[in-house]
Amino acid sequence: MPVTFHIPGALREFTAGHSRVEIEQSPATLADALSILWTSYPGVRDRIATEQGQVREHINIFIGDEHMRYTGGLASPVSAGSQISIVPAVSGG
Amino acid sequence: MIGQVLGHCRVVAKIGEGGMGVVYRAYDEVLHRDVALKVVKKDARLDTSSSQRLLHEARASSSLSHPNICTIHEVGENEGEFYIVMELVEGKSLAAMCATVGLAPQSGLRYGVQIASALARAHDRGIIHRDLKTANIIITDDGLVKVLDFGLAKQVGSSSIFEGPTRSFASIENTSSVSGTLPYMAPEILRGEVADQRSDLWALGVVLYEAVSGRLPFEGRTGFEISSAILREIPDPLGPPVPPGLWAIIQRCLDKEPIQRYQRAGEVQAALEAVQSAAIVSTSPGPDQNAPRTTVLHSVQHVQVRKGDFLLLVGTTKGAFILRSNRQRSRWEIGGPYFHGHNVYAMAYDARGGQHRIWASTQSYWGTLLRSSDDFGKSWTNPPQAPIRFPADTGVSLKNIWQITLGRAEEPNVLYCGVEPAALFETRDAGETWSLVRGLFDHPHRPRWMPGNGGLALHTILLDPAEDQRMYVAISSGGVYRTNDGGRSWTAQNRGIRAMTMPERYPEFGQCVHKIVMHPTRPERLFLQSHWGLYRSDNCGENWLDIANGVPSDFGFAMLAHPRNPECVYIIPVESDEFRCTCDGRLRVYRTRNSGASWEPLMRGLPQKRAYETVLRDAITADAFDPVGIYFGTRSGQLFGSRDEGRTWQKILEGFPSVVSIRNAIVEDAPSGLRPTSPKTVHVPSRQAKSRTKSKTRQSQPRQSKTHRSKR
Repeated sequence: MPVTFHIPGALREFTAGHSRVEIEQSPATLADALSILWTSYPGVRDRIATEQGQVREHINIFIGDEHMRYTGGLASPVSAGSQISIVPAVSGG
Repeated sequence: MIGQVLGHCRVVAKIGEGGMGVVYRAYDEVLHRDVALKVVKKDARLDTSSSQRLLHEARASSSLSHPNICTIHEVGENEGEFYIVMELVEGKSLAAMCATVGLAPQSGLRYGVQIASALARAHDRGIIHRDLKTANIIITDDGLVKVLDFGLAKQVGSSSIFEGPTRSFASIENTSSVSGTLPYMAPEILRGEVADQRSDLWALGVVLYEAVSGRLPFEGRTGFEISSAILREIPDPLGPPVPPGLWAIIQRCLDKEPIQRYQRAGEVQAALEAVQSAAIVSTSPGPDQNAPRTTVLHSVQHVQVRKGDFLLLVGTTKGAFILRSNRQRSRWEIGGPYFHGHNVYAMAYDARGGQHRIWASTQSYWGTLLRSSDDFGKSWTNPPQAPIRFPADTGVSLKNIWQITLGRAEEPNVLYCGVEPAALFETRDAGETWSLVRGLFDHPHRPRWMPGNGGLALHTILLDPAEDQRMYVAISSGGVYRTNDGGRSWTAQNRGIRAMTMPERYPEFGQCVHKIVMHPTRPERLFLQSHWGLYRSDNCGENWLDIANGVPSDFGFAMLAHPRNPECVYIIPVESDEFRCTCDGRLRVYRTRNSGASWEPLMRGLPQKRAYETVLRDAITADAFDPVGIYFGTRSGQLFGSRDEGRTWQKILEGFPSVVSIRNAIVEDAPSGLRPTSPKTVHVPSRQAKSRTKSKTRQSQPRQSKTHRSKR
């Protein structure tokens, strides 16, 4: 089964309008999956990560229902059928 | 007509009227069903050959059986009147459904697929619609599309040409040589060429455009203007929420040359279905893999800019605005908000080389970008890769862009950006590529610079107009640095500036300098507003003199040099660093006209009771008129202006988000290709409406040149 990214509305102009992107390769980690995502859609990269490769402070990435923070960060394991959600954090005024 | 019988249909009620004829609800007394009966208008009556063709076309169309085509049951003639009996379709026209605001893109796609499917069937049978438009498309309560009047337009074209939502065209006459409805007509029809199925695909492009935007792609006040637009103009791009894929389809349908369009309706249908499916099942790059470089904003108001207009560029914590006025500066149109919810800390207007480029920095969850617009905000670059980025070896990531400064007159492709964390970036190709100024970044002081309340930012950049290798920057908290060799080496220039937040009162660096300003005719003289302290230097920052003579507080952020008088500077003091509001709840601008020997409050027209305001360091600007106009914005979202150098003030508007930056521009050349979309208007009392405009007005901050032409 493919790994599926759920793309928030703010980033869809960089994924040709797609709200879901499925990747058929078999990424082992979240970092691998993200790398495949922005090979296809390079505009997504700088919105999610800083130029030093860290996920931006107010961007949350969930693998299934679990925040990447609790599963190993960018080294979090990803398996076939994983659902990866990119969600902006609730913050600000 | 009511009660009459045509053929075997009894007319029950009138349900509509168009250029082609009157439509009635009727009852088929043989087949016992409700039908629609269209009677061709007497004034659209046909000559013999035309009537024969109408009969032929209608009979051909009656052979079309398709769920998205309104079926024609019968065509007949009764006492010289033609009538057409057709399927009774109940629903709303697409024209009515998409009026003004347009449909959600998914709805537009859903209907578009059905319309394309109907066209595909008809084209396969050799039938061209010739008058496809949103008024001819009915959406039933079940969401089913029914396309009306296939193949009929050509025979009755003389009266139908100006039907449609653009009612103002109705007075135009003498159009009998073509058929259809003007705003939907393909260029080749206007050129007198024969319509074919690709002309229907053009009309489909117009319909799709109108469906998702609520407006026509080609508009005008007269038939001539509309025709001209169809033949020559490119429609305004459709940005989000319209998917790029849908916009690409519409663009291809609207190619001026039939050969460049889709050649078959089935192709359009397939393309629409592909966009409709929201997911992809491969990692192969899609058609938009490089993503749009430009985002076009349709959900915001835009301003129509003309030669001689005066603009205020307002950056706030929730987006940017463009305020347009003329030299009178008494009425304002508001464009925006651009970049909803983003911090816009810096804006600039670049007219070098005859361009009209507005720069803006945007910061949000999704990072920090430098963007530009060449059409006064209608569209903005949205680069896939952030153009300003720290090199990998620095280990540093960009947080915000605090300042955008144009390069020197003789280097029109040069710009500088001051950023957070404190660093200077430079472009020498008009923003295509940016590089970190290493001479400053590698300065041994940098690791000991400390963030202030707003972060560790390089917020001010000053270029010496007399020494082309000399430049100053100001850093909170780091102090003032100067280069005399074009940025290769930098020295701290803080002698005499107190550091109230450090153990050493007069350190070499580390002062929290809030703003420095320079007068172009006396570049060796600088004024400085510090975190506690007002200073002047008469020797390029070698040392600084305290000039806080008679101000209620020497704490503040905003500072502005008079564009012509090198002795004149404006500040807006706030009470303290603990209570960063105007002193005693009175909003007052202070001005010196003797280089800081004394200061006078300017308050006429400004609130003097319970006005606890803060004006940030870049939220003030001066124009180049004579007398000089001065404008500032507050954190509470108010904007004030003075047309008499600060003697009297008017509130331009209130209710904005917190104002972070203001710049101004006078548009010298007539921009092209701009159309207004009902801008909001704010009226400013005209008691100070006089405006003397003898100066060769230009953008006053930062400087600009017209001597070189940009590469872009």
